[in-house]
Amino acid sequence: MQETELHDLSDDADYAASQQQGSSSMMRTDSIKRSSSNEPDGAEIIYSKDNVAIHPTQFVSERISGRLKLIKQGSSLFMTWLPYKEENSNAKQIEKAYVDRNLYTIKAVPFTEVRSIRRHAPPLGWQYVIIVLSSGLAFPPFYFYNGGVRQFLATIKQHVFLVRSAEDASVFLVNDFENPLQRTFSSLELPRLVSVASGPSTPISVGESPLKENQERINGYETTISQYNGRQRQKVHDPARDISIQVLEKFSLVTKFARDTTSQLFRDGHSNGFGAFEKMFDSQPAQDDLHKASNDAEKVNEIAVASDPLEFDKLSLVWGKPRQPPLGSEEWATFLDNEGRVMDSEALRKRIFYGGVEHGLRREVWGLLLGYYAYDSTYAEREYLRTIKKSEYETIKHQWQSISPEQARRFTKFRERKGLIDKDVVRTDRTLDFYDGDDNPNVNLLRDTLLTYSFYNFDLGYCQGMSDLMSPILFVMEDESESFWCFVQLMERLGPNFNRDQSGMHSQLFALSKLVELLDSPLHNYFKQNDCLNYFFCFRWLLIQFKREFEYEETMRLWEVLWTHYLSEHLHLYVCVAVLKRYRRKIMGEQMDFDTLLKFINELSGQINLDAILRDAEALCICAGENGAANIPPGTPPSLPIDSGLFYSQQEDEVL
Amino acid sequence: MSYAYLFKYIIIGDTGVGKSCLLLQFTDKRFQPVHDLTIGVEFGARMITIDNKPIKLQIWDTAGQESFRSITRSYYRGAAGALLVYDITRRETFNHLASWLEDARQHANANMTIMLIGNKCDLAHRRAVSTEEGEQFAKEHGLIFMEASAKTAQNVEEAFIKTAATIYKKIQDGVFDVSNESYGIKVGYGGIPGTSGGRDGATSQAGGCCS
Repeated sequence: MQETELHDLSDDADYAASQQQGSSSMMRTDSIKRSSSNEPDGAEIIYSKDNVAIHPTQFVSERISGRLKLIKQGSSLFMTWLPYKEENSNAKQIEKAYVDRNLYTIKAVPFTEVRSIRRHAPPLGWQYVIIVLSSGLAFPPFYFYNGGVRQFLATIKQHVFLVRSAEDASVFLVNDFENPLQRTFSSLELPRLVSVASGPSTPISVGESPLKENQERINGYETTISQYNGRQRQKVHDPARDISIQVLEKFSLVTKFARDTTSQLFRDGHSNGFGAFEKMFDSQPAQDDLHKASNDAEKVNEIAVASDPLEFDKLSLVWGKPRQPPLGSEEWATFLDNEGRVMDSEALRKRIFYGGVEHGLRREVWGLLLGYYAYDSTYAEREYLRTIKKSEYETIKHQWQSISPEQARRFTKFRERKGLIDKDVVRTDRTLDFYDGDDNPNVNLLRDTLLTYSFYNFDLGYCQGMSDLMSPILFVMEDESESFWCFVQLMERLGPNFNRDQSGMHSQLFALSKLVELLDSPLHNYFKQNDCLNYFFCFRWLLIQFKREFEYEETMRLWEVLWTHYLSEHLHLYVCVAVLKRYRRKIMGEQMDFDTLLKFINELSGQINLDAILRDAEALCICAGENGAANIPPGTPPSLPIDSGLFYSQQEDEVL
Repeated sequence: MSYAYLFKYIIIGDTGVGKSCLLLQFTDKRFQPVHDLTIGVEFGARMITIDNKPIKLQIWDTAGQESFRSITRSYYRGAAGALLVYDITRRETFNHLASWLEDARQHANANMTIMLIGNKCDLAHRRAVSTEEGEQFAKEHGLIFMEASAKTAQNVEEAFIKTAATIYKKIQDGVFDVSNESYGIKVGYGGIPGTSGGRDGATSQAGGCCS
């Protein structure tokens, strides 16, 4: 089936014909709208390459092949990448796969938004390129199965300003004008098309069905191009109108899906006395407390803020369920059979999701939540595991302990790692009694477990932020080996946060931007217009799971809720959306730019009401439903399936 | 509080050289040896006076670890001054200066004023980089240079203020178009009379942001 599709697409005569047709119809619209034009523009495909693939995950089966094209329209160069249809026969699977695949579809990205292209030519395997946008976000690497990277770059170079970076010969900078004059010319280069006002509304990227025929494909990108151009032009004339059009376009979609989920929320059977969305996001106490002082200034600055699409319809939705008290020991006992097995792990996870765990139980429960112990293990089996794992830990620890000073002198990587960890453990949570004071043995444990981890996972090593993640685990487990193994499990989920190339962080920031676009398109548009789409202001939240945003006890509560993976393994992203939505009015009303926003978000530390945010996050997660899940690219951390059986079978698959 | 100008600073340098401690010493006049390590970026601010003008310094204190560089680079945007810090007791932090400088040159505006600080000069007995080497490096790269100690506060005040004075002089010399905020300078209430006119818009706009 893929073959057919491939063939279909490579039929150049058809393709050109339909393309011609598409552009001439657009030209007609154009000439009606703008009579002054005497230079008709058609879209011209100047480069097209089949079998250019992305690898969303490490699994061969999930690679997505597609066609990469460069399109010239007037003086603007665009890039598109459309995935091929999948060959699978199961209809439902196809549908799901399309959603996932479509996530990566690139519809007419103008090169004015591209910052750089990095070419990788590994000695073995395919050449690939990484394209970085000026917002700081990067597309996933494009693997050229049939070669053609050189031609790709050469073609680009003919149409835009492309220079090789002086710093790194494999990087090509796009529109990197040293000369300010050139920059000015570039920004003045207005697109020549007028928007197709009657064209289809900007589609929300999820749920959009994949384009089935050539004709549609062609129309697809041209529509996008014209919309892009149109937007630019409108921006020049009337920015307000531009916003309102986009907002209106999306309202209908968002409110529709909000309505669709209303019934789902009610079905859950809990009382509905928690007010409308409006109340939740507009008169929240957290914000009031925080900004009492600056209220006056706020009033002066008051600017009409686009309403929250979720409150637009004054929907009386049930907001997140009330939080429950933490799970106590009596209730905990009811989840266990007499040998200590958790009888219904789903019910347990649900219970913890809604209330967390009493501190005294954490030692026992965290190991289960993190997957260190299996839910169906008995007391005796867990005890046995502890013994085995303790000696395993000692073995790994001995690896670095046995390094003599002479050996260390010849082992730079070890010295650097140890030096960094030594420096960091003495500045991690030292205000807590547990880590307070000189020669505190717990600080040494923190160092030993982290250094041992950097040997256990030598490739990942140590990165700042890990000590923040280890600290509460050590505090809870109060045992060196147990803490280590729980941390190992946590890093199975969060390890990608510390990848040297920051790929794990970028994929989460990208997913977050998609979720905000879905759940609050006015806010998304605001970020877009203010060059904030890289979401770097949420970096600290994600890197260390909000550890610096809450009190210690609250951090532990949040973590155990996140670790249940009950509603979603990506609840942390919905927590981000929830916080941003709480402050959306302030952010947009005060017209915060990137710097101001970053500072504002940083200063929210200690100001966020955890229970309220968890309820919001829960509701948003339910609201977003499958659309939300589909907006999070596969492989976004934490992406480890809880079911260890599944995990291992996938591993074997990969080995084969 | 009103100010004539607001300058954005960024503090950069290897991890553990004392960036956050320098900031704390400057803003709070105290030394906190157990300061939590910086994740992402932290902020500080203080008013100073130069040429009888109140000037607000907004200071961005960044994480030093190599892996965060790609994020740190986005903070250079719109900085008027940078404090590039190394630790005089750790040679490698001095050796890395060139790569920090390259980052700064590439991602900051060309007129950014850079102050090179050799921190921890109270630990003279463990010194691994001589004062002359620091001076030499600064001279070669057109930086201002000082050795300082966040612990004893020696030269901390001076480093921040001298940087501001240099920026201020550049403004007086017309190097910057202060109405263009990409230079990391905002004009506040009571902006300097006598500088070129037509700045009313910028003045009132900046006034609203001085919280």
